[in-house]
Amino acid sequence: MAKTYQEINEKIARGEAVVVTAEEVIGIVKERGVQEAAEYVDVVTTATFGPMCSSGAFLNFGHSDPPIRMGEITINGVEAYGGLAAVDTYLGATQPSADRGIEYGGAHVISDLIAGKEVHLVAKSQGTDCYPRKELDTWVKLEDLNEAYLFNPRNVYQNYNAAINGSSKRIYTYMGILQPNMGNITYSTAGELSPLLNDPLLKTIGMGTRIFFGGAQGHVSWMGTQFNSACPRDDKGYPQTPGATLALIGNMKEMDPKYIRGAVYEGYGTSMFVGVGIPIPILNEEIMSFVAVENKDLYTNVIDYSVPKKAKPNLKKVSYAELRSGSVDINGKSIKTSPLSSLKMAREIAEELNNWIKKGEFFLQEPIQSFPMGNTIKGLEIKEGESR
Amino acid sequence: MIAKKILLSFPQKSAGQPMAMELIKTYHLDFNILKAFIDDNIKGTLLIEIKGEEADIEAGIVYLREHQIGVRDIQSVVEVDENKCVSCGACTAVCAVGALEMTVDWSLVHHDDKCLECMLCVKACPMRAIHALI
Repeated sequence: MAKTYQEINEKIARGEAVVVTAEEVIGIVKERGVQEAAEYVDVVTTATFGPMCSSGAFLNFGHSDPPIRMGEITINGVEAYGGLAAVDTYLGATQPSADRGIEYGGAHVISDLIAGKEVHLVAKSQGTDCYPRKELDTWVKLEDLNEAYLFNPRNVYQNYNAAINGSSKRIYTYMGILQPNMGNITYSTAGELSPLLNDPLLKTIGMGTRIFFGGAQGHVSWMGTQFNSACPRDDKGYPQTPGATLALIGNMKEMDPKYIRGAVYEGYGTSMFVGVGIPIPILNEEIMSFVAVENKDLYTNVIDYSVPKKAKPNLKKVSYAELRSGSVDINGKSIKTSPLSSLKMAREIAEELNNWIKKGEFFLQEPIQSFPMGNTIKGLEIKEGESR
Repeated sequence: MIAKKILLSFPQKSAGQPMAMELIKTYHLDFNILKAFIDDNIKGTLLIEIKGEEADIEAGIVYLREHQIGVRDIQSVVEVDENKCVSCGACTAVCAVGALEMTVDWSLVHHDDKCLECMLCVKACPMRAIHALI
């Protein structure tokens, strides 16, 4: 028996919706079967909490007197984009600061703002007839800003590579520190709790989907960049390589610094840990069978990050159950595996979203547009010549 | 006979005292310097392992404290700040001895007695939640 978004929302309003996490649902489906479970459960919550570099914030500071058209902008020493209108800016999560480098970057400023801290705003301008001020040096808090919202162009990757280092030197990557001679493997996923692995064909997640975003209620605003829905899939539809991604939007003023945190990857750069939870409405049996997926049935590849080329060698296809076991066997050698994204925090977020829905504080939003399947990603060709 | 790892911190005015000799002669303690650091202001920290009778170790520590030397019982020179740690697991990737590992519920646990003080975890932690005491 199929359900509609409206029917589920009515149940949420009455406090009658059955909401479970994507980990809990596995046992329910095993016990009751897909058909009965699909009738019983209304919403399955998924979540992830990991480093997502392609993140940042749009901020509007309000006008000073006399006003300025901000050109060069720094916040706590971190450069923000000055190519928007007078007092609008975009602050990228990975932008390092002039004084502390990657140890304090855009993501740290964002996290400090959400924590309510005062930040140092410095701006310069050439001065115009309508914006005569040439310099500005002040302190602002999140509450002082007109608008402040995260707009993250690429978050919650649907599946990602596991990383290994086949060289004889230690390497420092966005997949953490990789020890020489295949000394360790790192991976970054919430696995069977991960949002896009529970809806592999994006049957319920699309433009407009309401989500848990950094502790606030945010939305999926667009397909994420490098959206690779045409990736190889198994016969059920689960991606075998990095697949879809999402662009997310949400109000920083409603966020919690616990779920948005600045991060540093030694020798690589600044990144941002982003907490995202996505509810999946159990509209029918097909969707229920998708969310019942287990780590043993989700696969990725162990990629050699020491090869300085775009196409890196793929050493082995492994399941997330193998990665979570603590070691993976490669060429007869047992290699230690370590996570990079926090399953503990992801579970907390799935639980928190679960509570919101049960309390009738969060309702499902049906996508206003689905994302294309069969989308591929292009590389960048380096062309010779000074002009063309 | 017991062995204990302690971290000593010397304020500038304590420099130049015959601390080592006192510990050996008066309190009959064996000790092994594991790590030492002195900054530009002649403030120093010393990580030592002391061996001796329990009563002697205690008396030796009292002697050190009387001479304004900070004494801290430690197992490991790295400390995990629980408020900053998100249990991502990045530090466990570089901890070859298993001093940092994930529990069954995917929380980070620090078995400080296993730590060999390679300090690689300090660099590996994206939250900068792991601090070196020296």
